[in-house]
Amino acid sequence: MITQERYRTTVKELLANGSIKMAIGYRLGSTPDRRRPLFIRTSEEADQLVLDSTCMTNLSGYLVTEGLLSDEKKVGIFLRPEGIRSINILAAEYQLNADQIVIFGFDSTGRDVRPLDGRNVGEFSKLLNEIKEHPLQIVKEPLHWRIEKMNAKERFDFWQEEFSRCIKCYACRQACPMCYCRRCIVDSNQPQWINTSSHTLGNFEWNIVRAFHLSGRCVQCGNCDRACPVNIPLRLINQRMANEVLDGFDHFAGLSPTQEPVLASFKKDDTETFIL
Amino acid sequence: MTRILFSDKLDNCVAKWRSAGLTVIGPVQEEAISRYAAVEKGTDLSFGTVLPDRSLKELFFPQTEPMTSYTIKKNEIETTDFTPPQGKRIIFGTRACDASGLAIDDPLFGWDYKDEFWFQRRNESVIVTIACTKSDDFCMCTSLKLAPDSTKGADVLLRPIVKNKGWIVEELTERGREAFAIISEYLLESPEPAIPTVIVPEKFNLDTCVAWLQNPENFDSKFWKEISMRCIGCASCTYLCPTCHCFDIQDEGDTYSGIRRKNWDSCSFALFTMHTSGHNPRSTQSARWRQRIMHKFNYFPGKFSVNSCSGCGRCSRQCPVDMGITETLQEISKL
Repeated sequence: MITQERYRTTVKELLANGSIKMAIGYRLGSTPDRRRPLFIRTSEEADQLVLDSTCMTNLSGYLVTEGLLSDEKKVGIFLRPEGIRSINILAAEYQLNADQIVIFGFDSTGRDVRPLDGRNVGEFSKLLNEIKEHPLQIVKEPLHWRIEKMNAKERFDFWQEEFSRCIKCYACRQACPMCYCRRCIVDSNQPQWINTSSHTLGNFEWNIVRAFHLSGRCVQCGNCDRACPVNIPLRLINQRMANEVLDGFDHFAGLSPTQEPVLASFKKDDTETFIL
Repeated sequence: MTRILFSDKLDNCVAKWRSAGLTVIGPVQEEAISRYAAVEKGTDLSFGTVLPDRSLKELFFPQTEPMTSYTIKKNEIETTDFTPPQGKRIIFGTRACDASGLAIDDPLFGWDYKDEFWFQRRNESVIVTIACTKSDDFCMCTSLKLAPDSTKGADVLLRPIVKNKGWIVEELTERGREAFAIISEYLLESPEPAIPTVIVPEKFNLDTCVAWLQNPENFDSKFWKEISMRCIGCASCTYLCPTCHCFDIQDEGDTYSGIRRKNWDSCSFALFTMHTSGHNPRSTQSARWRQRIMHKFNYFPGKFSVNSCSGCGRCSRQCPVDMGITETLQEISKL
């Protein structure tokens, strides 16, 4: 509650003195356990701000809404560490100017929520590097262990079964801060790269393409997984890909606004020869 | 005296229906989600959930369906039409909102062109609705002037009896009577009282909302932008909706051979209205959300005299950003 009250005051001050034109945060949702995104432009709206451990959604995707940042004014946003990494990636991929983003950082342990020091992405550099070196020990879920024990054929069957539920609503894409493409590959029909149909092949194509496109860019905020209306465990795919990229390239996405995108850059001394 | 189907006889009924050639479908709780699916035994059915995650519509209007295959040769084009799978089926344990959804969409699919894929399945399906005895925060059938025991779209209505020992049977149509004649030996005369249907509070005044939507001045209201600011533009609300019916026809294959398919499409997507020129008449998410609400409560009733919403609440229940029809209409009632 103290964190929430302090942040309400801060947002009001920054709005009043013109430092920011808007803050993106959370408010109460339609049931006691739900929170929904809030766009704060006035002091009254700031009073609706809620900040507690149930505020999970990574809101950074709203920053790339067409036109929001084009007036060069600053926008504040409530972010967990994963969300701060998203800002770095969006900046590194030239989707926004990190200096325009005022960060209201927070994190939580159990039900306790605490503020994170800093306002600009640069000020979180130490924290993010610490997270890279000492990643939170995610308690591996039973499903994770089940998949670990599978051979390639069993894994393929498992994912085929999971993807069979996909209805191609693209909630995973729309909820993902990294899916900012103005025209997604599935929306391109000249040529039609990917089947639009939601059948076995079409669902496989979509989910695999997305997994690869997010490799080295996903911060595991969990937005896609929470958004999926048919409960496909997308988190497991993206976690696995992030681990592969970390192991193979020592790349931890979103450390700084100038970090080179791992799969969109090359080094002359790369030991792999096939691509050069 | 009322006729009761006791739940311990459900296995026998399912076997009986199956041996009479009917596919038995009902609510099933799978590991990840609940949905309506074919079962082999009565015990595979799950009546514990308020309503399945996925709606009944996909059994009549699947997310993807082949229509025609084509092969283009030098001097001829060969086509083969697909027909919907044949076979009678009984859908046991639909919710009233889901069954109503089918009845709402009937005029749409039969309006200027009779959609054989829809109507063949409709004609071959017996819909057995079970009245709801529980609801959740998102249920809103009563706001749509429907009810937890609405008979709309149903061939048989079942009312649960105390201790969930079974259901009171009310046959509503000839098709329903025929299906229950098959299992008549398991229907017992008994004076068991029904559990009262759940009371679903009314969440908004529909007439007030419809009047506001019908006023042309409100088409350009600032309200649309405000209410939809957080909409991320996914299609989960439309795809889980029991009445949303938009589809796209796509050819899959190459110049020489392929399959023409009918696929779900959604007004939430920018691509839905994108012109070849690049111009998009619904270029913003607020315009798209306005379309969804206007279509359901203004345009559709204008054409078919029924709202295109049965109050299941899935749009709000599943929305990644906690939006939905309920909130929008509640806000409209306050304007």
